[in-house]
Amino acid sequence: MKNFEEDFYHLLHLLKIREPFAFNRFSDGELYMLQNLEVILGDHMAKIGDRVEKAPYHEEDFKRFNPEEHGFFRDRLIEAFRFKKKNYFKGLSCRCCVGEDNFKWQLDFHGRFDENFTWANLLVNGNYGKFIREMYPAFNAYKTVFICNKKNDLTLMPFVVKDFRVGYNAMVNDYGLIEEIKTWIDRNNIEGHLFLFSASAFSKMAIHQLYEHCDRNTYIDTGTTLNPFMGMRLDRSYLKSLWLGEKSEDINKICIW
Amino acid sequence: MIKIVSGFSFPSGSTVALVNLGNQFNERGHECVFYGPNKWHRDKCKAADIAEFHPEEGDIIIVHHIKLFSSADLFKIRDKVGQLRKKTRLDALRDIIQKNTPGSPKIAGLKIILTCQENGLFPLKRLKYSLFDKIHYADFSLAKYHKITHSHFICPNFGNRLTPSKTKPEKVAGIIGSIRRENQIESAVEKSFSDGMKTVILYGHMSDPVYYYSTIRPLTQKYPGRIKYAGFMDDKQQMYDSISDVYRSVARPWSLVRRECTLTNTMYHGPEACQGESLADDQIFTVWKNELGL
Repeated sequence: MKNFEEDFYHLLHLLKIREPFAFNRFSDGELYMLQNLEVILGDHMAKIGDRVEKAPYHEEDFKRFNPEEHGFFRDRLIEAFRFKKKNYFKGLSCRCCVGEDNFKWQLDFHGRFDENFTWANLLVNGNYGKFIREMYPAFNAYKTVFICNKKNDLTLMPFVVKDFRVGYNAMVNDYGLIEEIKTWIDRNNIEGHLFLFSASAFSKMAIHQLYEHCDRNTYIDTGTTLNPFMGMRLDRSYLKSLWLGEKSEDINKICIW
Repeated sequence: MIKIVSGFSFPSGSTVALVNLGNQFNERGHECVFYGPNKWHRDKCKAADIAEFHPEEGDIIIVHHIKLFSSADLFKIRDKVGQLRKKTRLDALRDIIQKNTPGSPKIAGLKIILTCQENGLFPLKRLKYSLFDKIHYADFSLAKYHKITHSHFICPNFGNRLTPSKTKPEKVAGIIGSIRRENQIESAVEKSFSDGMKTVILYGHMSDPVYYYSTIRPLTQKYPGRIKYAGFMDDKQQMYDSISDVYRSVARPWSLVRRECTLTNTMYHGPEACQGESLADDQIFTVWKNELGL
């Protein structure tokens, strides 16, 4: 049986011994795109298929995926989801967060079970305190490249040596940046570096293609985990719980497989 | 066997001290295992999870930061540590009751040492210290602070192996210590900037994220781009090589930081009076050897 805490420590161990790996996350937003549903994250709202609900999104989170218009990007997402390679870890949405049906749908859609399946929430919820206290300091041992939104402030992190920036709906609007990063890696013989991503669905395609291109670096999708260090809002309950002390069950939640 | 058992083993000065102690025992032919509830210590020395701790006849047990009120507590140490983490307002009252309740007698064949690495963070007066054969204080100031009339010895912690930094950046201050209110990180940041430092790097375990967000984060906005957060660095040499000065606001005479600054040619700015010569590793070991009867 997979263990939420053990998987976290496995990645931390690889990071500490400098064994390159990729940790890619397919959370609910990507799940809906894989299901070919229309996804619109707009000003304080989310539209998934025909369902519209309030959501804590701001400009930098805005996303628009139209199945008819954006089939090319869905195909790239599917490739990232089905890609298999040593130390390419795929974080899936867990049954406790997206429900049994969606969880099973992902496994069926993926096909053969991959031993590198793990949780999309591996760095958050009950593991978030460990991520900040144990994994974040380990980044100091690496020359780190950060791929994130134009609005993010990276000056707090002493290990960042280079950054690539994306804007709104990066999956579509900044897709070409992946080739740019590959070129930069090749021209500068970049090896043994750590690449951190906080760029929504763009991260998933980039992590897959960059790890396929050069597996001598480590690639981690950090999502919103470093928001408090990047001058960004704390609009997720796990963030509010750790940094503001607000009561929430998420910060102690141990996700199940 | 020597068994070190601590109420926490996340990265901190005292955990490093216990890791170094365990390594010194093992390097000198005395088998020692460090048991702790967190995972950080596991790859630093011969170590195990606290659940694997079981006292056995002939053991020397070095206890750190665990409230023991009875010898029987040694056999349910994981629960004791769990209790320590669930702090409630009734803790002090519960401690008084437990301290004054007759517990199980001392267990023959076990030598139990309490090692004291903190002052107010872990008040020894609340403990039933008669359970311990001896108390170890990492500094004279700790013995003076706790004022316990019980058999004890004072011995500094083993140091980290460091060499002088080959190159140093200019006017880059390091603030070394856990990120929590008691360490007054904000005062050290302000002092370093008022002394003309260009950049400040915080090296410390994120003990209190709420304190960080409410008190340190506003300073990152006041001094944009000049404050960095590195977290607790395992590689001390890398840490000292990346700073020119160290600032501290709170006196911690037992801490290794001042000594490490001397070793690495780092300027130290802190409230402690200048300490005398520290003991060499061999001298420290001789003290432990004599006190434990090895």
